[in-house]
Amino acid sequence: MMNKTILVIEDHEDNRRIMRDLLTSSGYEVIEAVTGEEGVTAAGTHHPDLILMDVQLPGIDGYEATRLIKANPNLQSIPIIVVTSYALSGDDVKAFEAGCDAYVTKPYSPRELLARIRKFLP
Amino acid sequence: MYNASSSKPSPRVSSISRRFSYALIGVVTLLLITFAAVGILFEITTIQSELETRLDNAMKLAQISLPTPLWNMDNDVVKDFVEALFLDESIVYTKISWGDQVITKKKRPGVQLQQLESAMSPTLLNDSEFIFKSSDIHFEESKVGKILIVMSRESVRKQVFLLIYGIIALTVLIIAAIWLTSIVITKRYISHPLLKLQESASLIAHGDLDTFVDKSSSDEIGILAQHLDGMRGSIKQLFEELRESKEKLEEHSRTLEQKVKVRTRELARSVEELKALGEVSQAVSSTLDLQTVLATIVAHAVELSGTESGAIYEFDETVEQFQLRATHRMSEELTRAIREAGVKLGETAVGRAGVSREAVQVPDILEEPTYPLREIIVRDGFRALLAVPLVREDKLIGGLVVRRRAPGQFQKKTVELLQTFATQSALAIQNARLFREIEEKGRELEIASKHKSEFLANMSHELRTPLNAILGYTELILDKIYGEVPERIQEVLERLEKNGRHLLGLINNVLDLSKIEAGQLTLSLSEYSMNEVVQAVLTSVEALAAEKKLELKVMVPTDLATGKGDEQRIVQVLLNFLGNAIKFTEEGEVTVEVTASNETFLVSVSDTGPGLSEADQNKIFEDFQQADSSSTRGKDGTGLGLSIAKRIIEMHGGHIWVESTLGKGSTFWFKLPIRVERQRG
Repeated sequence: MMNKTILVIEDHEDNRRIMRDLLTSSGYEVIEAVTGEEGVTAAGTHHPDLILMDVQLPGIDGYEATRLIKANPNLQSIPIIVVTSYALSGDDVKAFEAGCDAYVTKPYSPRELLARIRKFLP
Repeated sequence: MYNASSSKPSPRVSSISRRFSYALIGVVTLLLITFAAVGILFEITTIQSELETRLDNAMKLAQISLPTPLWNMDNDVVKDFVEALFLDESIVYTKISWGDQVITKKKRPGVQLQQLESAMSPTLLNDSEFIFKSSDIHFEESKVGKILIVMSRESVRKQVFLLIYGIIALTVLIIAAIWLTSIVITKRYISHPLLKLQESASLIAHGDLDTFVDKSSSDEIGILAQHLDGMRGSIKQLFEELRESKEKLEEHSRTLEQKVKVRTRELARSVEELKALGEVSQAVSSTLDLQTVLATIVAHAVELSGTESGAIYEFDETVEQFQLRATHRMSEELTRAIREAGVKLGETAVGRAGVSREAVQVPDILEEPTYPLREIIVRDGFRALLAVPLVREDKLIGGLVVRRRAPGQFQKKTVELLQTFATQSALAIQNARLFREIEEKGRELEIASKHKSEFLANMSHELRTPLNAILGYTELILDKIYGEVPERIQEVLERLEKNGRHLLGLINNVLDLSKIEAGQLTLSLSEYSMNEVVQAVLTSVEALAAEKKLELKVMVPTDLATGKGDEQRIVQVLLNFLGNAIKFTEEGEVTVEVTASNETFLVSVSDTGPGLSEADQNKIFEDFQQADSSSTRGKDGTGLGLSIAKRIIEMHGGHIWVESTLGKGSTFWFKLPIRVERQRG
């Protein structure tokens, strides 16, 4: 069985590494992108099984990137979990309006995040 | 003026003498009749006895004169004697007999025999028309005859009738005399003076108080007349006084009327001024549009000062010039000219008023050849100008000017009135300036607040990102992603994680509080189950309670109504309550109880901890406050949890409080409407 691929779009190096360490140790294939643009491109080329999307990104932000991916008929079925450290009211609404499938605030427990991912990728 | 109640003498008045005469006559008549009756009766008795005496005398005469002739049988003498007896007119019948033989008898003609016979019957003896007497006549002891004399009472009756007629005639005469006398007397002494009195009274009644009442009579009527005259005098005096006071009153009322007229005029004017001032004040307080307010003020100022045109200027400190702000009935030419030329401090009436800070008058502009824009003002027909400065808190704010076509000084009143309007104008301009400032400040504040929110959001992000890495790595190491971890290091890592989570709690609380203060915390209202809320909170604290070996009691009915509110925030509050209770209680128990009544949930968390002093109870819900007691030292906590809890509950329209006794534990309560449809505050 082919390993499931997860695209991590995150500009913070340490957080990217935590994701990578967590996910690879759990048996997922991980593709990384640092900016929104890179992320959208990577989604198109690799067609991952799931995308973890940070909101605060250089260039286009996570909401915009989510919108772009969900606007693409080939990619719109890919589940997107938005990860944000912004916690002002209305952020969750913005995330869902952009079309994300789940919403997680930082700091997240790696264990909880894994549990969320497993709901989409059983 | 004077109204007499009766002006004609009543016709009955004249009958007083008549009534008096009638009464008098009645009494006199009664008396006379009584006297007459008594007199007649006496007379009748007298005549009667006289008749009887006459009969006796006749009989005695017969006893003396007849024995001899009868003895001698001298019948002629007897006859002569009878004739002689008949000289008495009362004797109507005489009979002289001896045994059955009638010697002689004589009957007066006209007297009926039958009458006589019946009169002589014993029954009618003496009591009827006739009286009679018979007697035997003796000569020397022997009876020689018998005589019967009958007398008629007719003569007596005639005499009596004559007497009665006489008396009646006399009575009538006397009555007539009395009547006449009484009439004369009453007329003279009563009716006449009374009539005169009545005339006088009538005169008085008609208002003639100058004719004296005749009081010459010394009797009661005279006294009455005196009193009447006294009365007349009093009335006259009264009238005089009345007339005087009436004149005074009329004079007074005339003055009063005049005064009232004057006052009314003044009052009307004051009312007008007040009304105008009222409108102005209303405009000042209700309209923040300065242009409208100033236009209202200048219009009223012109109208009430009796002038024809006016303007309000605002003083611009930076260029030391007055700017035209509102005009009333000014020609376009003048308006344009003033706008172009501007009004400098010290120039024109307004400029001068600005310098002197007092009202400035220009009685006739024609006398001031150097007055700016003089030609235009004169062309517009204005001659006199009055300007007052607008001053507020010793600061020159502007000027108010009115223009009049008629030259001359302005009244003091007009100046005062204009000053009032100036005060209002100054207030309006200041209000408008303040409002502009407040608006500006508000905008600045809004921007600052937005910056603060953005800063907080950024801070939160900046803090969370590295914290995320710290907590993430810690968890990964603890989960042995990077291989086996020595026990000692594992313990340290657990402490690292715990502190990291505390730091996260702090960051979250600060963010929450900032959001609440910025009004950015919004409740997301949805349906929730209170049982599930309690369960979720218990799940996350069970481990902690177990660690401290505290008993965790839960008293929550299973059939609680479905609530509506911000579930996550309610969880946050209850978690704060339970977290604190477990944190500060070293032994014993922690109890969670929920009851529902009157559409509210009543939630309480009780512990057997150290309790709170009264002072602590008062401030524990304030920001950054923890109970200041040794028992709380060294306990984690930001001191923000309860103040955030308080705001969350209040935003739900609920109420939060604590009951506690030092040394005996505390109970924290919150009351929450079961259905919250709208966020408060």
